[in-house]
Amino acid sequence: MTSRSEKDWAAPPSLPATHYTHGDIYRSDAVFEEEEERIFKKIWRFACHESEVREPGDYRTAEYAGTSLVVVRGHDGKIRTFVNVCSHRGARIVHEPAGNMRNFTCFFHLWSYDLTGACTSIPRPEAYKAQSIDKSKLGLREVKTEIRYGLVFVNLDDASEPLDAYLGDALEAFEHVLTDNDLEVFTYQHATIDANWKEWQETNLDLYHEYMHVALRKTQIDPGAMNQRELKVYPNGHIRGGGSGYSANYDAYSGWAKREDSKALRGLTANDFRFTHIFPFSSMNARGTVLRLSVFTPLNAHQTRIEWRGMAPRSDSPEDWEMRTKHYNQYWGPFGRNVPEDLVAAELCEWNFGPGAARYQIIAREEGMRGQDDGFLRAFYQQWSKMMGRPASQPAEGAR
Amino acid sequence: MTVSRDDAVNLVSTACRHLDDENWAAFLELCDPAFRYRIVVRAPEVRREMIWFDQDYAGLEAMFAVVPEHLRRLGTFLRHVSVGSIEPRGTGKVLATSTFQCIHTDMEGRSRLMAAGRYLDEIRNSADGCRLVDRQTILATRDLGVGSHVPI
Repeated sequence: MTSRSEKDWAAPPSLPATHYTHGDIYRSDAVFEEEEERIFKKIWRFACHESEVREPGDYRTAEYAGTSLVVVRGHDGKIRTFVNVCSHRGARIVHEPAGNMRNFTCFFHLWSYDLTGACTSIPRPEAYKAQSIDKSKLGLREVKTEIRYGLVFVNLDDASEPLDAYLGDALEAFEHVLTDNDLEVFTYQHATIDANWKEWQETNLDLYHEYMHVALRKTQIDPGAMNQRELKVYPNGHIRGGGSGYSANYDAYSGWAKREDSKALRGLTANDFRFTHIFPFSSMNARGTVLRLSVFTPLNAHQTRIEWRGMAPRSDSPEDWEMRTKHYNQYWGPFGRNVPEDLVAAELCEWNFGPGAARYQIIAREEGMRGQDDGFLRAFYQQWSKMMGRPASQPAEGAR
Repeated sequence: MTVSRDDAVNLVSTACRHLDDENWAAFLELCDPAFRYRIVVRAPEVRREMIWFDQDYAGLEAMFAVVPEHLRRLGTFLRHVSVGSIEPRGTGKVLATSTFQCIHTDMEGRSRLMAAGRYLDEIRNSADGCRLVDRQTILATRDLGVGSHVPI
């Protein structure tokens, strides 16, 4: 028998529960709401790079789990994060994604807050005396904020474990790159796509799909070097890909030039490729001369917003800046060779998982955690299953 | 040789049509060998201007050659362009500033705006006719969805 009947199509694959996922986890609003409570509001998420709030008063907004946040450096030099909501009537306080301010003032009734989140001014406060409203109890909602290697992480859960415990050693491959280069954001882009957030994340974790990318086929895939690719899984679902099996040969792609080691970021050689994903939304990719920080935001069960930051040394000359921009754009820009393909792939999977035509996904490649093993996908879904309290291979109660 | 308004409008419109038709060879025929195409955008997130695309003639030629090998968004693009000012830029050259909208139509026939912005086209006229010497596309749209493998 070559094709399958309706019954066979609907039957779970004959695989361990860890080696496939159920289509409902990509399409169900109920699953999404459960993810929001059990995962999104519990994890440490990358918010911005420290250089984006370099000076006192510098701020940068971030949004996730339906919550608008503002990261700000105080006049005391400390970086804090607040829910971007006025205590009075719920208005959004900061409207622009980045800037500098002396304090927060809500546009609506001019309630003001200092950069520690304390409410400092309420116009004509005497009218609140009858109800004993006291501005000292009306500060902004502060969100846990911790920094590792210049990466600012936030967590909506006040009871969460510290960032260090959450990350463990997962950033080890990027420690030198992040700390030895005095980095700043030199390019930024975001995109909203019609795909479930896990369909997007799978394009980051699925190593087997690199055949889809002509740029990777030409510059990077060496079947003989598959066993030199190192796949490492850390506690809490973080993963790292690296090793000499990922070395790239850029001039093999038509119109691209070789990259010079002298222009590589400290901690890398020009042809290095490595990546780390911090469960579930944050990641780092390095390609010799450029570093990319990514984070995404699930908007609903069928839409995801992705942000990418290109990082370069502050000391770059205009010529080096131009070179790094070119290298970054070649793979990762909105007109680049790779990222648009990954985005299309995620949307094409949504076409089938979204309405329910696709029933299961197979993540069963085993290559001893080398080459194109599906171990990263299994690690991701193992952590997902742990936090959701049930395997990703099982449909949710009320999910259909 | 001068570049008239009609010359400029015809060149910009024809260039857009060739890009819509994905007739890369015909588009390149409208470009000077020294042609440079940049797409820039100012992002309030980082408070600076960024370059999202920068290719010279040879770079475009190489890029167009591999377009068929890429996985791309299905459907077609339509560039609606409106040429505004034409300013002299020395002997035989003008700068044409246009606004544009790039509309994507998917395989179901649904159209939606992908991007809007301005073209700043430097155009020269010589014995071989009018040619694009430089195009700077200033994007107003910063969320391009899945992006594009070809210039706007």
